Amino acid sequence: MGHDTAEWVFVAIVIAILFYVGVDSWIVQKEVEEIPADAEVIKVTGQQWFWSFEHADGTKEKITLHLQKGHAYNFEIYAKDVMHSFNIPDYVVFEDAVPGHVNHAWFSPDQVGEFPIQCREYCGIGHYQMRGSLVVEEGKS
Amino acid sequence: MVLELRKPRPVWQIMFSTHHTDVALLYTITGMAFLFMAGVLALMIRTHLFFPGQAILISDPATFNRIFTVHGLTMLFLFALPFAAGIGNYLVPIMVRYKDMAYPKLNAVAFWMNPIGGALLWLGFSDTSWVSYAPYSVIRAPGPAADMMIFGLKILGISSILSSINFIVTILKCKHPDLPLRQVPLFAWSILTVSLMTVVAMPTYAASLIMLLTDRLGVSGFFNPSLGGDPIAYLHLFWFTFHPEVYIFLLPAIGMMYELIPRFSRKPLFSQGSGVFAFVMLGLIGFASWGHHMYSTGMDFTTKVVFMIGTLAAVPASGMHVFNFLATMWGGRIRFAAPMKFAVGGIALFFSAGAGGVLNSAMPLDFITHGTYWVVGHMHLFLTGTIAFGFVAMMYYMFPFITGRMYSEKLANIHFIMMMWGTVQVFFTQHLLGLEGMARRIYDYPPEFTSWVQLNQIATVGAWILGGSFVIFLANLIYHSAKGKEANMDDPFGLGGKYYYPYQAKNPTHHTGY
Amino acid sequence: MSHTEQEEPIPRTSPRRLGKMLAIIIGIQVVGAAIFFTHYDYWNSYQPNAEKIQLGLGTNTQQKQGQATGKTINVSLKFVESSDFKTLAFNAVSGSDHNPEIHANVGDKIVFDVTNAGKSYHAFAVTDSKEGPGPAIEGTTVGTADSPMKPKESGQATFVPSKPGEYYYICAVPGHRELGMEGKIEVAPSGGAAQPSGTEVKPTGNKVEFTLGFVMSSDSKQYAFNALPGQTGSNPDIKVKSGDTVTIHVKNNSKSYHAFGIVVDPDSQPAVLWNSAVKSADSPMKPNESGDVTFVAGAPGTYHYICTVPGHAALGMDGKFIVEP
Repeated sequence: MGHDTAEWVFVAIVIAILFYVGVDSWIVQKEVEEIPADAEVIKVTGQQWFWSFEHADGTKEKITLHLQKGHAYNFEIYAKDVMHSFNIPDYVVFEDAVPGHVNHAWFSPDQVGEFPIQCREYCGIGHYQMRGSLVVEEGKS
Repeated sequence: MVLELRKPRPVWQIMFSTHHTDVALLYTITGMAFLFMAGVLALMIRTHLFFPGQAILISDPATFNRIFTVHGLTMLFLFALPFAAGIGNYLVPIMVRYKDMAYPKLNAVAFWMNPIGGALLWLGFSDTSWVSYAPYSVIRAPGPAADMMIFGLKILGISSILSSINFIVTILKCKHPDLPLRQVPLFAWSILTVSLMTVVAMPTYAASLIMLLTDRLGVSGFFNPSLGGDPIAYLHLFWFTFHPEVYIFLLPAIGMMYELIPRFSRKPLFSQGSGVFAFVMLGLIGFASWGHHMYSTGMDFTTKVVFMIGTLAAVPASGMHVFNFLATMWGGRIRFAAPMKFAVGGIALFFSAGAGGVLNSAMPLDFITHGTYWVVGHMHLFLTGTIAFGFVAMMYYMFPFITGRMYSEKLANIHFIMMMWGTVQVFFTQHLLGLEGMARRIYDYPPEFTSWVQLNQIATVGAWILGGSFVIFLANLIYHSAKGKEANMDDPFGLGGKYYYPYQAKNPTHHTGY
Repeated sequence: MSHTEQEEPIPRTSPRRLGKMLAIIIGIQVVGAAIFFTHYDYWNSYQPNAEKIQLGLGTNTQQKQGQATGKTINVSLKFVESSDFKTLAFNAVSGSDHNPEIHANVGDKIVFDVTNAGKSYHAFAVTDSKEGPGPAIEGTTVGTADSPMKPKESGQATFVPSKPGEYYYICAVPGHRELGMEGKIEVAPSGGAAQPSGTEVKPTGNKVEFTLGFVMSSDSKQYAFNALPGQTGSNPDIKVKSGDTVTIHVKNNSKSYHAFGIVVDPDSQPAVLWNSAVKSADSPMKPNESGDVTFVAGAPGTYHYICTVPGHAALGMDGKFIVEP
């Protein structure tokens, strides 16, 4: 019927847009999830209510993390008690810290400076204070 | 039909009646009461977040956590579901041309579980957040509040399942033999879809609640890693129920808009068939997308893709509804009474909420928005912008039929402008806040982030406007239910005689049919 | 399709009926609120069993408090925070007041007066674990991590150590101890019994000798043995074994009058034990006078060697005389 054609066209446009979103997401996510082989592993442990870090060479840091610009880092994320979410918003590093699981997220900071770290999964009264700092320094290659 | 059925009935007779219209009123009125209680909590939260570093109204983070938990639980389980059940109870038997619901006593029992569940939730005032993720709710949430919450939710879940069974049997088995199913009004179709979805989805949640309880007692380790369990299991069980559940919240409001828009456009509905198809499709596909709430939990790539496809596949169904509404309005002689204003406003906000949702479902973009105020803005655009707008529209529409009087159109106009403005101001702003990185469920934020401070303040002002609009709404309804001008029971909205209102009967045994 | 004739007037709600319905709704809410607020502390009062199981999966030797037989030590502590919230401490964020160290003996009653002088929430506890927020020793807590002290709130806790060693007073909110809210409590051993008994024992034949000198500052404000307070060697600890035959050479190197003796506690039990006195308050040692005393060290415990002239021990002439078993 005549007036149904408009509806088909509309639905077709919607599906086309969604298809585009889906395919583009697929491509981008595939790229994002490929962790480079030379990424340095940094162990991140989330617990109520602070983040602690351990570098590949054993150096431990609490709350503030010092990294070098231009290097790739692969975070191994652990949780000690309840669920947390490790997040560096400026670099879209975001992965849950789940007790009993190890999650991974990688990135490579390309700017020197200080960037906030926060927890993005509700974990109790200290959730809002579970903040830290990422300090990116010039790389000594 | 009118609230006062025969010579003024004693209030207790209304309260303990099993007739579908009375139960409907009970559902609706308690739903509204809980709406305002939860609304007060929301205003407390927004006011507190106006200034960082200050404890305005909320003295400590523990109280803050309890407030947002109870706000969420109340709005969803004690307002959205019961209100839809209420309007459903009122209209569905009329729409299928039957004298009452299939099981009237069960109907009343299902209603009375709501205040009991609500009492448990409100007395306990737990702090687990409404999703109550393990392991926090297992090993940290203090009792007895969290246990009361679990029991309360179980009772509410059972209530939901019982009323769903009632609706399914009423619509499928008790409908008049001369009425083919595909001609049953779309509102009844939305209730049917929602009831079928509830019966499939809710038992999973009931199971996960029992598991939470036994985990808390220490006798099981379903979600406790130190006893061999996995917190992610809870997330899967929870979201398997609650993703379909968000569609369960939404569909009755869409169904209500289907009642209002053709009538107030004075034009027949564009396509009954598309509406039915869209409801059924959403009901089925809604079960395929729960993992999009868990993108960051460490699932592998393929799983994430499957859930993304499932999420995107449900969007065309919603698009079909919007098209249906717009095509119905196109070329109609629209009477913009209050119900129509709210219905149209609801559609506009529904569209914007959906657009934001598409962004969320795109995997990489979800990592920017998950757990931030973007999600808060997105879900509230759906909940307030579509569902509340639809419910309010329906309230205004049913008002003359239930009370026999008319509300004030002028006050309703003010209500509409304020509610539209307030909703946009709070929830669009929260999308921006989320992009700035502000996390959810936080008691306080660093004052150095000036963009956060400004956006929070804008959002709080919007919330106050929204709250004010609800006060006007309540005043309008309460005052005019007793003192309003008597409505013309044949055509309260002045649409002209050709567009009938099917619920004109004055007593429960006399239905006009459709 | 619609019936337009009205067979009878449609009954509509009256204000009285509406009022009744509103009264019911609001009445229920008021009753509910009353129940909630009168029992406000009950609803979130205990932790789930699962938490106890989880915490107990590590070591769970919960210390109990001892008997208060020693002296009372009053400690006033305030939770403080640096403005960027990256450093937390007790009393002061840095400087000499920062996280004061407490010295006590087994059996001393340490009374903590704790106030939250910060902007955030905290909880006080005494624990013997070296890291982490607990477990707290029973009775030493003010507030807990899940029900903490709000700003300006204060409370009291008492700690009577039953065993010697290193204890810590901390903020029990997870993360706060790591950010600096931790202070040490050194509990000196007293060989088992809370307060030394002072009973005499048979000599073992072992002989030891010590030399002590009364000293005083030139402004007569500071008193001590051997060296002035703050200087090395002031009020040296003397350690002997129970049953030793102890000889102490005492010299008055000050311009005032003094006398010597070993006591259990100069405040509560100033009686001189084991005939260890050199002169007395009534007949003291003059400036530059010296004297000796030989006695058998009695039951194990931490005693004090003091100047027995009233007031001088309180002014500083008080050192530890530790008798080991």
